[in-house]
Amino acid sequence: MGWLVLNGWMGKCLTVNLSTKTLKTLDVDKELLLSFMGGRGLGVKLLWDLVPPSTKPFSEENILVFAVGPLTSTPIPTTGRFSIVSKSPLTGGIFYSSCGGFFGFKLKNVGFDYILVEGRSSTPIYLYIDDKNFELRDASHLWGKTTKETFKILEEDLGKDFSFVCIGPAGENLVRYACVMGGYGNFAGRGGLGAVMGFKRLKAIAVKGTGKPKIADEEGLAKALKNFRDRISWNPVLDKALAYYGTSALVNVINEHRILPTKNFQLNRFEDAENISGETLKEKIFVRRRSCYNCPVGCKRMTKTGSGREGEGPEFETLASLGSMLLIGDVEAVAEINYLCNDLGLDTISFGGTVACAMELSEKGLPDARVKWGDAETVKRLVVDTAYRRGLGRWLAEGSKIFSEKFGFAEASMNVKGLELPMYHPDGVFGQALAYATSNRGACHLNAYLISVEVLGYPYLMDRFSPVNKPSIVVYMQNLAAVMDSMVVCKFLGFEFDEETFANLLTLVTGKTFTQESLITIGERIWNLERVFNFKAGLGWETDRLPSRFKVPLQPMLKEYYRVRGWKPNGYPTKNKLKSLGLNVEDEC
Amino acid sequence: MLKVPKEVYEELKDYCLRIARRGYVTAHGGNASIKSGNLMWITRHASSLENLKPEDVIQVSLEKPSSFDVLASLETIVHRQIYLETPNLAVLHAHPPISVALSFFMDEMIPIDTEGYYVLKKVPVVEGQPGSLELAKNVAIALKSYYAVIVRAHGVFAAAKYMDIAYQYLCMVEHSAEILWLTEVLKKSGLTLHKPKKF
Repeated sequence: MGWLVLNGWMGKCLTVNLSTKTLKTLDVDKELLLSFMGGRGLGVKLLWDLVPPSTKPFSEENILVFAVGPLTSTPIPTTGRFSIVSKSPLTGGIFYSSCGGFFGFKLKNVGFDYILVEGRSSTPIYLYIDDKNFELRDASHLWGKTTKETFKILEEDLGKDFSFVCIGPAGENLVRYACVMGGYGNFAGRGGLGAVMGFKRLKAIAVKGTGKPKIADEEGLAKALKNFRDRISWNPVLDKALAYYGTSALVNVINEHRILPTKNFQLNRFEDAENISGETLKEKIFVRRRSCYNCPVGCKRMTKTGSGREGEGPEFETLASLGSMLLIGDVEAVAEINYLCNDLGLDTISFGGTVACAMELSEKGLPDARVKWGDAETVKRLVVDTAYRRGLGRWLAEGSKIFSEKFGFAEASMNVKGLELPMYHPDGVFGQALAYATSNRGACHLNAYLISVEVLGYPYLMDRFSPVNKPSIVVYMQNLAAVMDSMVVCKFLGFEFDEETFANLLTLVTGKTFTQESLITIGERIWNLERVFNFKAGLGWETDRLPSRFKVPLQPMLKEYYRVRGWKPNGYPTKNKLKSLGLNVEDEC
Repeated sequence: MLKVPKEVYEELKDYCLRIARRGYVTAHGGNASIKSGNLMWITRHASSLENLKPEDVIQVSLEKPSSFDVLASLETIVHRQIYLETPNLAVLHAHPPISVALSFFMDEMIPIDTEGYYVLKKVPVVEGQPGSLELAKNVAIALKSYYAVIVRAHGVFAAAKYMDIAYQYLCMVEHSAEILWLTEVLKKSGLTLHKPKKF
């Protein structure tokens, strides 16, 4: 295969060993790029190659990969994103998280397909990268600062041309669901990858790149993008709902379908949903829209509450996890809890899920968990206590699974593989329930967003209470999501485009021929490798489950899911399946 | 999203089924709405008109966007514009094949069958992408003067105060289109056209 000219990819990476303080640039294996694309896929392959699955997440041997893809920083909308991959301290399994903003765009422009971070620094440091230099710099003055303060100091020191990722105090204090902030209002939220950064004492990364990836067929791409942008502007979800309300448009819709998690999933409808809805948010606290790099949708929201506090969000998931889940029917209170989580660096879904669990335990009379439903002021205090691991916060920082086990009532934790459930009640969306149970990173809506077909009708409407054909759709969506995270593009594009469009764009950008089938195969390869890693890390078929609270007929769907995947009845990929995907896995499970 | 009143659902279901049985829509195509004060009840995005269920009827405001718009038909914007600019109370949209085929060849259709000629008089052909404001405006303007309008390469919008009348207009457009098409075919086969004397 000829690789005389590299288009789309940059062909270089930066490896950083924090223990030895050595930094190196290396050429990237081109075949690796074709097989795993970039972003999540690349990170997953590096984790597989470099980290034994039994490795402890909080150990020098764990790695962090920050990766972009062949579409990053191209004229294609939503391509400023990047992926982070590591072993999660919350799930103990492989974890990938995608983040919007501008950091991916700048990282690609500096000339790297990925940054690999190994080892652990003895003192707080941050990584500095521009077009000519890269080095580790002292971060003692940043340690202990909030995300916002960190960004501000770095901006003052380095200039606004830089983009940053950083962690807050929650990451420094190893809260198991600490997030990585990738720009104001942008987060690699889930799975505690911020705590992995904290363990490594890597406070931030600053990057400024002014280069650009080469594009194989600029004229063809420009032509294709005309139609691409038109289709975005004709799509009611992208151009109207998300643009007008942001993701908060979903609150009323999901509530009226009786799938809005309420009171720690004990209920599926919230009486006060209107008070945390997109309409109320717009009327009471909306300041302006915000967009990621080259995004015509602009789903982000800047808001300001009556008390004068301002910040980013809340998004739909946060409105539910800090609103209906905790019975807080007040958009301003939810926004203020959200701002605190953002500043201290906490994933709002896991924090909300863990506090909801504590509220349920408190209701059952547990003396150590004194937090009542709807008590917004106590929740605000708990955000701080959790980030600094004080009082009850010390246990909340462990996530709902460990928290509920510690207090002897594991049934109150709404998790899959240790990751708290997102904000769609599984009993009313059978396909989404299967997607939660089988996601490699734990309960996740972004690995297969069945809400699109079970509620919104994109690209068509399925019976949400039927298991029929759901396993096949979940498998297809999971494979497609893995590719989208690897190209790297925003999942919202899935409301309008499928692998046919992406294959065409990739071909125009890279000059290599991609087809619908080859793209889905790459996604399947990534998914299977993640699955094998998880099995070897101790997350086997028995973790493909839902909390006992739910009544979804999961088992028949799971059986069918394994069959459709070409896996054994125990949920492990067959030798033939792995071989057909070019995965060299020797021993079996 | 309020629960649709039974009588509204029954009426929409009835006419949607009629449209589907006539072959005027494909599996998930077409849409229908009924105006009620400052709101409308409209079929859900991607619902099947052949098998409309109560949850497939969505209430949306005529005055401002609402978060429920995301569930409603892609053509909600067109229905909304029709209600804002005309006194109609019911709108049907379908993709009858002969009308769509003829739209590639003309800027307006003048029916030559008696019923179509006297009732419809003329059916304008307009353009615009599905779900776009441009289409909404073009259709609404046309429906100020006519009972139905064909969107080139797309389908027909028919509007009236009563659903049954809107359905009548929709069927008449397709019937007139079919007559036009058949007469053209017959002319080309060598037959001589005899127009009615008082036409």
